[in-house]
Amino acid sequence: MSADWQTQDWKAAWQPLAEAVGRDFGDGTVVFGADAVEPGTIRRYTEPLEISCPIHYDAGAARAAGYPDVVAPYTATMVYSVPPMWRPGEPTLYESSDRDAQPARSPINNEDLPLAPKTTGFFATDISMEFLRPVTVGERVGRRGQRLISCTPKQTSMGRGAFLTWESELVTERGEVVARVRTGTYAYNPAGPDPAGPDPAGPDPAGPEEEQP
Amino acid sequence: MTSLASRQRTFGDVTVGEELPSVEFPLTVYRLVVAAGGNRDFNSIHHNTAYAQATGAPEMYASTFILMGMWERLVRDYIGPAGTIRSIRDFRMRRFNLVGSVVEVRGRVRDARREDAHGIVTLEVESLVDGQVTVGPGTVEVTVPAASTAEAAA
Repeated sequence: MSADWQTQDWKAAWQPLAEAVGRDFGDGTVVFGADAVEPGTIRRYTEPLEISCPIHYDAGAARAAGYPDVVAPYTATMVYSVPPMWRPGEPTLYESSDRDAQPARSPINNEDLPLAPKTTGFFATDISMEFLRPVTVGERVGRRGQRLISCTPKQTSMGRGAFLTWESELVTERGEVVARVRTGTYAYNPAGPDPAGPDPAGPDPAGPEEEQP
Repeated sequence: MTSLASRQRTFGDVTVGEELPSVEFPLTVYRLVVAAGGNRDFNSIHHNTAYAQATGAPEMYASTFILMGMWERLVRDYIGPAGTIRSIRDFRMRRFNLVGSVVEVRGRVRDARREDAHGIVTLEVESLVDGQVTVGPGTVEVTVPAASTAEAAA
């Protein structure tokens, strides 16, 4: 079995997803995040960033600046669309006491990647966001749509997988679109102790460079 | 609100080509954990060395959310409370931002134009570790008031 054949075989596993480029995998429903926009979650988001602007904690200052109430940072809008890790009544997430055991489920993952081969590694590579307005205290944010824009199989120094680009809208409970998001991800299987070898095609200029987050 | 108004940048304060005051973010394990609690990206690659290394990374590394938040910190410090952010584009993570490093976020004004009661300003922003670009360069389009409240009333 040649290395070239192996390379083509693993890339072929991504073909069904590549053929679905353009499809919206969302069913039109809005998947809302775990937490409403409220002062505590804003504080916890801004804390490690040390954002001092008073519109994020002082309602009077926010109103003076033209907002209806305390506002969340724009970049937190997507955070408010992340579903909960666990809901009351659901099975436990913690099935093992192994030190590095992973939760049984996670809303930030590639477990439910449709039409794709099983992968264990996953990270974001790039994001573009258009903001129509900031969200304020009392609102909830959900994600609508999951349109696949591109699918490019690629072996990198991290492993074998594919670069994927998705588009979604972030909406409020009233259905108002507050942001549009285009997210690039890399879903992959980490290189093991006996990888098939480097991709003879070399680095993909459309994908990660020498290293990737 | 005198102090708030005094911190508000207006369109007249903006100069194309000017550098924004850069911001440094030392990336400690502590900070990454606090960030995960705040942004709910609990992927172990962002707070667990052994797990991150098993996925092919040299160490745990900063998440997308905290890296985007760093850009917002830089931008918000510049545009002030009444400024708004219209878009973030080309936020491309080129290299790991590893624990133990210092992320420096820099920006400069690439373009500025007036549109009704607002100034529309395009900022070019990038993150660096040890002088190497790790995120971007991308653009952040923002608005600032065309004039201060006092100027508008005059």
